[in-house]
Amino acid sequence: MSIDGAPAVGLHGVTKKFGVDVVAVDDMGLEIRDGEFFSLLGPSGCGKTTTLRMIAGLEFPTDGSIQIFGDEMGLRPPNKRPVNTVFQSYALFPHMNVEQNVGFGLRMKGVDRSEEKQRVNEAIDLVRLSGLNTRRPGALSGGQQQRVALARALVNQPKVLLLDEPLGALDLKLRQTMQLELKDIQADVGITFIYVTHDQEEALTMSDRIGVMNEGKLVQVGVSEEIYESPANLFVASFVGDMSFLPAEVVEPGSVRLAGGEIVRAKTDSNPGTSVTLALRPEKLHLFANASEAPPDRNALSGTVTRRTFYGESLYYEVAVGASGSFDVRVENLPVMRRWEVGDEVVVDFHPDSTTALAE
Amino acid sequence: MTLTDERTEEVAVNPRLERAARRRESWRGFLHAVPAYVYLIVFFVLPLIVVFVFSFASRSRTGRPELENWNVDGWTRLTDELVRTIVTRSLFVAALNTVLCLIIGYQFAYWIATRRKQSTRTILLILVLIPFWSNFLVRTYAWRMLLDSDGYITQLGELTGLWGRTLFTLPAVFLGLLYGYLPFMVLPLYAAIERIDWSLVEAGRDLYASGTKAFMKITLPLSRPGIVAGSILVFIPSLGAYVTPDILGGAKTTLLGNFIVTQFGAARNWPFGSALSSAILMVMLLATILYFRSGARTV
Repeated sequence: MSIDGAPAVGLHGVTKKFGVDVVAVDDMGLEIRDGEFFSLLGPSGCGKTTTLRMIAGLEFPTDGSIQIFGDEMGLRPPNKRPVNTVFQSYALFPHMNVEQNVGFGLRMKGVDRSEEKQRVNEAIDLVRLSGLNTRRPGALSGGQQQRVALARALVNQPKVLLLDEPLGALDLKLRQTMQLELKDIQADVGITFIYVTHDQEEALTMSDRIGVMNEGKLVQVGVSEEIYESPANLFVASFVGDMSFLPAEVVEPGSVRLAGGEIVRAKTDSNPGTSVTLALRPEKLHLFANASEAPPDRNALSGTVTRRTFYGESLYYEVAVGASGSFDVRVENLPVMRRWEVGDEVVVDFHPDSTTALAE
Repeated sequence: MTLTDERTEEVAVNPRLERAARRRESWRGFLHAVPAYVYLIVFFVLPLIVVFVFSFASRSRTGRPELENWNVDGWTRLTDELVRTIVTRSLFVAALNTVLCLIIGYQFAYWIATRRKQSTRTILLILVLIPFWSNFLVRTYAWRMLLDSDGYITQLGELTGLWGRTLFTLPAVFLGLLYGYLPFMVLPLYAAIERIDWSLVEAGRDLYASGTKAFMKITLPLSRPGIVAGSILVFIPSLGAYVTPDILGGAKTTLLGNFIVTQFGAARNWPFGSALSSAILMVMLLATILYFRSGARTV
């Protein structure tokens, strides 16, 4: 009964309250396109999981409406929705083996035995678990359990797959492998994925689009680059990636004054006198020994190195610029790069276009 | 899980040291268990051996058990028609009581276990335990008063025209047994249901199971340890129940418990009573082991 051209999932004014005064999701409006890998990103308690559960039908909105391919969900129970979920804890049935776990949805749907067997085997192949068909979940590693959970959802060929921090319990290496695999599988099956995560890097690398949530509100929706390069507000800027924040005041469009009095050319069209926060990515700053070495027509601020942190592939320098504040500068660990010591006098250089001026 | 196992084995570099440590550990554990062992051996195992030995005794003309001329008369009597009838009846009563306790107890345990607040659950559990604060015999006599001619339950039955005096009938026995053993069913069921990870049920619902299907395929199988433990805790004492059938059933329908008591009392046939007790004990022990094994395998 889906309507052609309708978004895979549409949320309109969706609000979820627990009790009287806990607002988990606040007036959320969002359209997720068919075939898209969409991530809901935010800190714990921001309402992202609640949003996912409302789409799954495990919670019902206090207000607003949810449509799946144009179909109004209302109070439809989870078993009657064309979506499946990969749970954070995997929620594998401990009393069933891999095959029975994966086949559960098909059995409930009444798919005939031979087709069930075939599709279950295909799904188990897809997640590369062949040969483990008769194992119980308790006898599988975390990564294998994760794959079973994925196969158990995918085997039903849902219109939308909901994933609730599916890689949260895995260690770093395995998580990175699984990220790539998930992306491949999504491209393979072409199903819309809605992926809930608090890991900004995961969201940036995997998603077609990201919706950033904070305190129950959707604060920004966009492709990874947009979210990273032009954060909508201070929250998104501080949550996604590293940034230095400096209080400033707009002098004229394209120019701000820092707290220490330095005039900096920045991307802003706010009215003169407006208080803003100047946000800068560490990798977009450069260090020079003095102003004459720095390229002309950019910003060059004199400061002192106050901290040096070694990360392996890069070094982070914290540079204090008078009363204006500190800048974090990331420098690639390349042989040609000059090393600075704490106490060195340096010039911080950055292009006006690399700045973001966030209004209060 | 396997990962951790491998890691532990890696750490244990010196097997001799490891063994010595384990030995010391188990010795210390044993010391703590000594008082319980001594108590159980003196007051439980030894008396049972005495009962078993007496099942081979002979009876003097006055009915005194004598160990000199030992025989197996007590055991051969187990095949009597009367014994078979009583055993069958008792099995029926115990089984039906277990099923009733299970049906009523499961719903109640489920309800308690699904209360959101821990304090609510604790209060409800304490309410389940409150009957134990007064003596079982006293409580059974209270039932007797309720079910007697002028008792409230009888009056209610007569008022509605649905039932009369139920005292000294089989339904009265069932009422008493159900009342007496329901807590023993509720507690293990509660423990099992409370442990269930509800995201499993949600996963079931998400995978197209209706509420009923999700219950049958997920909740019920996962509460199996509680069902097994509760059933054993209700079935075994129901089978040997003596006080309830005696006081509420008026000893009109003889059950195993009363029958055995009679052998040691009025009938003065200790060898037969002992043989019957020993036989039931052995059968129940075997059945329990098998039942537990079948239950332990599920999760």
